Amino acid sequence: MRRLVLAALALALGAFEAEAQAIRPFSTYRQWHGETRLGARLDYAAGALKVLPGRPGELYRMDALYDSDRYEPLSAFQASTTEVMLGLKSSGSGLRAASKDGPRQTAAVTLSPRADLALDVTLGASDADIELGGLRLTDLALQAGASRAVVRFSKPNATRCREASLRSGAAELTVLGLGNSRCDRIAFEGGVGRVTLDFSGAWTASSRVEVKMALGEITLRLPREVGVRITPESILASFNPQGLVRDGESYISPDYDRAARHLDIDLTTAMGGVGVEWIGRPVNSER
Amino acid sequence: MRARSRLLAAVALCWLALPRPAAAVPLAADPTGTRTLRLVHGFWSLVANPREAGGTDSLVQASRPAPQPILPAGSDGPSVSLDDLSQPDLIESQLRTALEPRDGGIRVTVPNGSARLGDFSIAADESLTGHLLVVNGTADVFGKLLGNLVTVGGDVVLHPGGVVSGDILTLGGTVHDQGGEIGGEVRAFRTTPLLHTLVHAAPEPAPSALATVFRRGAGVVAVFLTLLGLGFALVLFGRPNLEVVSDTVAHSFGRAFATGLLGQVLLVPTFGMLVVGLILSVVGIVLVPFVVVVYALLVVVCGLGGFLAVAHTMGETYTRRRLALGAVGSPNSYRYLLVGLSGVAALWIAWAVFGWVPVAGDLVRGAAVLVTWLLATAGFGAALLSRVGARENFAGRLLPPEALTDEYLWATPQFGVTAARRPGHRTPTRGL
Repeated sequence: MRRLVLAALALALGAFEAEAQAIRPFSTYRQWHGETRLGARLDYAAGALKVLPGRPGELYRMDALYDSDRYEPLSAFQASTTEVMLGLKSSGSGLRAASKDGPRQTAAVTLSPRADLALDVTLGASDADIELGGLRLTDLALQAGASRAVVRFSKPNATRCREASLRSGAAELTVLGLGNSRCDRIAFEGGVGRVTLDFSGAWTASSRVEVKMALGEITLRLPREVGVRITPESILASFNPQGLVRDGESYISPDYDRAARHLDIDLTTAMGGVGVEWIGRPVNSER
Repeated sequence: MRARSRLLAAVALCWLALPRPAAAVPLAADPTGTRTLRLVHGFWSLVANPREAGGTDSLVQASRPAPQPILPAGSDGPSVSLDDLSQPDLIESQLRTALEPRDGGIRVTVPNGSARLGDFSIAADESLTGHLLVVNGTADVFGKLLGNLVTVGGDVVLHPGGVVSGDILTLGGTVHDQGGEIGGEVRAFRTTPLLHTLVHAAPEPAPSALATVFRRGAGVVAVFLTLLGLGFALVLFGRPNLEVVSDTVAHSFGRAFATGLLGQVLLVPTFGMLVVGLILSVVGIVLVPFVVVVYALLVVVCGLGGFLAVAHTMGETYTRRRLALGAVGSPNSYRYLLVGLSGVAALWIAWAVFGWVPVAGDLVRGAAVLVTWLLATAGFGAALLSRVGARENFAGRLLPPEALTDEYLWATPQFGVTAARRPGHRTPTRGL
C-alpha cells in the first residue's frame, strides 16, 4: 500500500514538474540585397551564444530561445548606415535570479560573408563561441563581462582588418587563430581571469599587439614562423620567456631579424603570470 | 486491507490517466512564486473550465475563421500602427488590447493599411499598397505588398516572385521564404500570448448543459482524487499530526476558525515584515530566498493539511454516528478522509450539476465556495493552534491534575483514549 501511495505521489509531482518556463523562440533575419558593408552590434546579456558565418543570401540572422519574463530580443536594422543591432537585453529591473537547472537561453547569430563587417560584441553573463573565420572582418570590438568566450579565426579573414579590440572583465577568454585575423593592430585589456591568445594561422602581414592585464593568467601561443618580440612591463607578475632571447628591454625570438612577418607584443601586467607556448614545428627540425 | 489496496490502486490509475503536457522541462527555482501562482491558476481553471486546459495553439488552429476583412474601429476604437516593427513587444502589447472582441467581433484600425481575419493571399498579378495585418490566418504572398506585414496566429509564406517591400513580423507563426523578396527585416515569434486572446475572440457555440455538467464534474472528480491522494499520504506518513489537528478542529472549532481568519489577514503583513527585517539586518539578506520558500511551504502545509484535517473530522463524526446506529465497518483515518472529502465534494458536484442554471447555479457555487472557505479557514487555524499537530493543548486530550479524580482514573485509562466531555463543563486546557 505504501508503494502505491508513493507511486501516486510521484506521478503527481511529475505533473507539477511539467509546468513549462516562459522560454520563447524568436528568429530574425534580413535578405542580402547587395550590401557591401555591415556594422553589427551584438549585445547579449545572458545565455549561450554562437556566432558564425551565414548563408550567402542573408545579411544576418539570429535564432534565439529566450526567457520572455526576463529578457527581450534586440533586432533593429538601420538601412541608411547598414547597421544592425542584435541580441538579448534584460527587460525591466529588479531581482534577477538565474537557475542552473532551468532551460538555458541560446542564440545563434550568422553574419554575411559577402559584406565587410565591423563587429561590436558585448557579452554579459554568457558562454560564447564566436567563429569569425571566413568573414570579411574589418573591425572587431569585444567586451566580455562575467563570461566565458572563445573567439576563433578558423579560416583566414577575407579582407584586411584594421583593429581587433578585446576587453574582458572577470572572464575566461580564449582567442584562437589570431594569425588568420589579418588585423594590423590587436589590443587586449583584461581585468581578472584567464586569457589565452593563440597567434597561429596564415600570417600575411606583420602585426602589433598590446596586452594589458590587471590580475590573472595569460598564455601566449606563438607561431615559430613569425618573428616575435615581447616587451614586458610588469609589477608583480611573473613572465617566463621560454624560447626567447633578451634584447634590451625586450625578448625576441632567435630568428626575429630574418623573419618576413613580425609580431610585436607590448605586455603590461600587474599581478599574475604570463606563459609562452610555441606552436608549429621547431626551426631546427626543418634542417 | 484488500479493499484499501484496491482503492489506492484505483487512485494511482486515475493519476496515470490524467492528461499531461508533452514537453516537460526541468523544474527551475522559482523565488518569485510565479510558477506557484500559475499552478494555482491552472488548478482553478481545471475545475472551472477544463476545456481551456488543452492548450491554445491547437484551438486556434482548429478554429480558423472564414476569411473576411476586419472593419476599422471608430474614432475611439483601437488603432495599431504598423509603420515601425522594430519593437515587436510594443506591437504585441497594442494588439493584445486591439484584438479584444467588441460588438461581437474584432475591430481595429491600421493606419496606412488594412487588416484581415483568417487566411489571406496576394495573387501573383496583384499589388497591395499599405501595411497588412492578418489575424488568425496564413498570409500567402505571390504578388507584391508595398508595406509591412504582420500576422498573428499564422504563418507567412513568401512564394517565388512574391515581394514584401517592408518588414515582416509574425506573432505565433513562422516565415516560409520560398524564394520571394523581402525588403526589410523579418522577425518571427513562434509563440505569443495573443493566441489566448484569439481563442476568446473567435466566436464559438455555447457548450450544451450536458457538456458543461460533464466537464465540471470531471474537474471536481480530478480535484477530489488529488486531495484524497494527498490525504492518504498524510495519514500514511503523518497520522499523529493529522489526528491532533483534527481533534483541535473538533474540540475548538470556534477558536480554530478565529485563528484561521486572523492568520489569513496577517499572512501578507507577516511575510512582509519578515523579509524587510531580514533585509534590514543586512546579514539576513542571504536568507531571504530560503525564507520565502519555507514560508510558502508552511502556508501550503497549514492550509492543505488543515483542510484535510477538517475533512477527517467531518468523516470521523459521521462514521462514529453511523457505527453507533449499528452500521458495519471499520473506523480508520482513511475512511474518515474519504467520507469527509466526499461530503465537501458533494457540494461541488451539486454545482457541477446545477451550475448552468441561471441564478440557482450561482447560488450553489457561492454556497460551495463559502463552505469550503469556512472549512479551510478552520483547518488553517487548527493547524496554527496545534503547531501543525505538534501541540495538543486545544485537542481536548490534556486534563489538569485536579480533574483526575480517583473515580475518573478508575473508570478511564489515562492514556490512549480521548477523554470524555463532562456534561455542563468545558474541558479545561492549559491555555496558550
